[in-house]
Amino acid sequence: MKKIGFFLGCNIPFNRPDIEYSARYLLNELGYEIVELEGASCCPAFGTMPSLDLVGWAAASAWNLTIAEEKGVDIITGCGSCYGSLNEARYHMEKHPEIKEQVNKILAKVDKEYKGTTKVWNFINFLYEDVGLDTLKAKIKNNLNGIKCAVQTGCHNLWPSRAYPTNEDNTFFPTRLREICESIGGVAPHYSTITDCCGMGALRSTASEKSLALFKKKLDVIKQEIDPDIAVTGCSSCLLQFDAGQALLIEQKKLDYKIPALHIAQLAAIAMGADPEKATAMASIPLNGVITKIKGGN
Amino acid sequence: MEEGGVNVIDLTQADESFVKELEALGADELRECIQCGKCGATCPMALAGLEFFIKRIVHAANLGLRDILLEDSSVWGCQSCNRCVEICPMDIKPYEVIQAIRRAAMKVESCPANTYEGLRNLYRFGHAVYPKGYEERRKKVGLPDKPPTVISNDEMRKKFQEILRNTILEEIAPFPLD
Amino acid sequence: MPKIGVYVCHCGENIAGAVNIEEVMNYAKTLPDVVLVKNYLFMCSDPGQDIIKQDIKEGKVDRVVVAACTPRTHEPIFRDALESAGLNRYFLEMANIRDQDSWAHWHDKSGATEKAKRLIRSAVAKVTFAEPLEDRYGDMEKSVMVIGGGVAGMFAALDLANMGLKVYLVERQPSIGGMMIKLDKTFPTMDCSACILTPKMVEVAQHPNIELINYAEVDAVKGYVGNFEITVKKKARYIDWDKCTGCGVCTQICPARVPNEYNYNMDQRRAAYIEFPQAVPKKAVIDRPNCLYFKSMEKTGKPACQICEKGIPPKGIQGCPADAIKFDDKDEYINLKVGSVIITTGYKVMDKSHFKEYSPHSKDVVTAMEFERILSATGPTEGELKRPSDGTKPKTIAMISCVGSRDERYHSYCSKVCCMYMLKHARILKEKYPDIKLYLFFIDVRTAGKDFEEFYVYTRELGVKVIRGGRVSSVDVKPNGKLRVRGFDVDLCSPVELEADMVVLATAIEPATGTEELGRLFAATCGREGFLREVHTKLYPVETASKGVFLAGCVQGPKDIPESIAQSRAAASAAAALVIPGKIKFEAIIAEVDREKCSSCGVCVPLCPYGAIKLQEYKGKEKAYIEPALCAGCGVCASACPSMAITFHGFTTEQILAQIDALAEA
Repeated sequence: MKKIGFFLGCNIPFNRPDIEYSARYLLNELGYEIVELEGASCCPAFGTMPSLDLVGWAAASAWNLTIAEEKGVDIITGCGSCYGSLNEARYHMEKHPEIKEQVNKILAKVDKEYKGTTKVWNFINFLYEDVGLDTLKAKIKNNLNGIKCAVQTGCHNLWPSRAYPTNEDNTFFPTRLREICESIGGVAPHYSTITDCCGMGALRSTASEKSLALFKKKLDVIKQEIDPDIAVTGCSSCLLQFDAGQALLIEQKKLDYKIPALHIAQLAAIAMGADPEKATAMASIPLNGVITKIKGGN
Repeated sequence: MEEGGVNVIDLTQADESFVKELEALGADELRECIQCGKCGATCPMALAGLEFFIKRIVHAANLGLRDILLEDSSVWGCQSCNRCVEICPMDIKPYEVIQAIRRAAMKVESCPANTYEGLRNLYRFGHAVYPKGYEERRKKVGLPDKPPTVISNDEMRKKFQEILRNTILEEIAPFPLD
Repeated sequence: MPKIGVYVCHCGENIAGAVNIEEVMNYAKTLPDVVLVKNYLFMCSDPGQDIIKQDIKEGKVDRVVVAACTPRTHEPIFRDALESAGLNRYFLEMANIRDQDSWAHWHDKSGATEKAKRLIRSAVAKVTFAEPLEDRYGDMEKSVMVIGGGVAGMFAALDLANMGLKVYLVERQPSIGGMMIKLDKTFPTMDCSACILTPKMVEVAQHPNIELINYAEVDAVKGYVGNFEITVKKKARYIDWDKCTGCGVCTQICPARVPNEYNYNMDQRRAAYIEFPQAVPKKAVIDRPNCLYFKSMEKTGKPACQICEKGIPPKGIQGCPADAIKFDDKDEYINLKVGSVIITTGYKVMDKSHFKEYSPHSKDVVTAMEFERILSATGPTEGELKRPSDGTKPKTIAMISCVGSRDERYHSYCSKVCCMYMLKHARILKEKYPDIKLYLFFIDVRTAGKDFEEFYVYTRELGVKVIRGGRVSSVDVKPNGKLRVRGFDVDLCSPVELEADMVVLATAIEPATGTEELGRLFAATCGREGFLREVHTKLYPVETASKGVFLAGCVQGPKDIPESIAQSRAAASAAAALVIPGKIKFEAIIAEVDREKCSSCGVCVPLCPYGAIKLQEYKGKEKAYIEPALCAGCGVCASACPSMAITFHGFTTEQILAQIDALAEA
């Protein structure tokens, strides 16, 4: 059985444990043994150590990477920030051996050493490359029945491409998440603002209204161009914006339509037979209609 | 700027050492920027309407406008989306300029309150985002109250804290590291 | 009865896109004396010309109308076609149904077709009365005069001399070298200007085929291409250059101190002076208006000073050791015959006094050319950066672009080199003084040129501050002597200001004093901005309106050193191509006087822009005579002659009237 280290981060275990539930279910169904990364911390988030110092950032990331290294596993994360922060830290340490050296001096104080042997995956690239679309298709229990998906890969899952071990052929025209959705029975057309930022993250905490306005602009284009049944994200932060952020817009009467949203781990888990109740437990925008469609209703 | 609302930026007040400081903090290709504006056309901060967005920030940084940049909270609104890094024709990695300015700001304790909150959480709990009531949410989906991270392992948490204490956080954290 | 062939060109879609070719052809067949009408996709192509040639050879046609484009570019081609088929080359008429018709009326097909018919009808009418004309040949003087001894003139002279042609290089100043020798370094290679130019100056001076005529100006011009007779005024030097060794004794002992124009009056020279240390030839001159000898002679008739000549014996100071002082020197006029002329008299930079908003009264506000001298090792500060007002080293310098350029009040054009030399100044300063603060205010940064953008980026990396959209609105002197500079920074989207120790104005390049007058001597015209104008920007970039007179360098408009040299060598090549064959062809399209009809009124004489007409005795009376070599075929005389005594060949009265009638016909 293939092993994979599941890196939780913060938002998934604390704010959206339904993603954690789904991811665990999905990985098991796909035949992976989940290795717990005991003692793993925050990636760290971009507004914390990365905004203080490059070595401090790399040291905190390396802490997490060494936990997986010691267990001899690669890492998978459902959060774009975690994917970006861990990979960028790796990149800086590879590119600048002196940073790696400084980091290892710090790690030595707790008897650890960063080697650089662990690869960091996100769900999109993992499903696309390690699992493979054929395997995915073969393991479906609930076909998506042609529900129309608006995909949101997420900025951190695309850029900076120099730091990433694998990526889209054209990061400005991402297709992997679309192909994944289609392999499990959905329809996932391209739309013109597919790579636009959702507005979640530092912008949301610094200028909430502007962040939501930016998000609404994107939503309007999605609605107008493809009018989907559901939005599917590759990043947990994007999901927070697409779900809770959308609910806020509705509450503020700034939006007169609803697009339910799920993380790809959730949608794929449902396709693999996960309990939809649990898999979507924290969703603010109700998914009843989508679930009914998947189950063959109208 | 200081002249009571008069909107003129006094370049004489600029601080050349700021450019060097930013270069040392990771923005080492800052001066190659020719202000082509490509980043400004893609930056979420610009598209969302923040007054200081990446192109302006890079220019102000190049002019050494330390006070203006450190007083304004715009750099903290950067999404770290890295799209600017991906498309910059001069390869100056604009996002690294943002990070460098944030690093300079942290040294003089000039950052929004929620930045400290994140740092405090990171140090105390090992998680920058640590919302209340998560146990209930986890229970709802049948997961254990606490995730198997640093939060449920005191020994590892102390080791992680030791790592952080050996970083620059030790010097600049405005809260006790104990 | 003439047999006229009409050949209609499609010019691809250029004509056929707007004009109904078939309809036009059918119409042309109905015109008087037209024996055949043919069409082709590109009449000017070889197969197109062959159609015409074939018809001539087979005796089908003896007059040709080509309905196509402009005679300006294509008439020679078709004339050659006629000639090679054995027909007189002037039995051709072109109807311009492209530039004057299809291009102008592309939106109105039926109108364009109607107009094409009329244009062809009028060409047919004119060619009916065509007369056979013969080109003639004159002798060509195998020598060239180059006027202006800057970098453009020097390179043109060298190329021509190396081709074995005799060259007269006339320079207004005592030394050759022009503006380039005043520059410190040159972009984008940062070559030291003097280092690369001085060897060329020496080469020019020593070349056996170049006669260097310094301290001289063109005074009068007679003749025409192939046979210019030029009077050059050699200004009195008051020092015998045959004797002068350039030792510089006179320039040290002369007591009269005057502002040194070579350094833009930022320091002083003596009335006896050598223009600059690397001058070629290294000879001294005495500046008469400022010389104490001449001043006193004019006032009192007695010499108050002869120190340069005699020294100060009581003090043991010797005068000129070469005995070269020549107070009785006179201006000298020499006459030279040349076949062709190249004008390379360059430019000058605008003075700062025009720009009142930039505190021109402050000594610390300087033009870029003045700044160039400050940076130069041979300049007023010997290359040390000092502020003119108090000699201190400036810590902050602001440079302002487009001062007088891109400005409808002064010059609408872009002076082209300013962006780059501002960056060059910044680079020189930053490399020498890394801590200096430099603010460069640009509207746009224009760096189109080989290696220019890389130069710009490198300069930015040195920490130079570039403010765009930043045309400075004011420079004010503060009580502490500093200069407050106010501008707008489009990248900050804010007004900005700063305090500078010095301000450098990139003032516009403008035509050198006397450019228009010099051009007029040669019948070479100037453009709106006062630079000499080329005949065609693309096709004839070094030719002037006057045949045999070429131009190169900044006399034609702002350009950098590589462009000036490229143009000067092109001009040299064009002049050589004209001169070397030793013969010159004169077109047959010229005016001729029928002296029997001439009433001797003389009205035509002053009207001729080319000075080709004079009154000559004929049968005991003064009658007009037109020198064929000088006539440019403009037709002014023919239209003005009250006695209709002047025939303008190729455009006879009969032809013109026929053409007008045909056009006006309903």
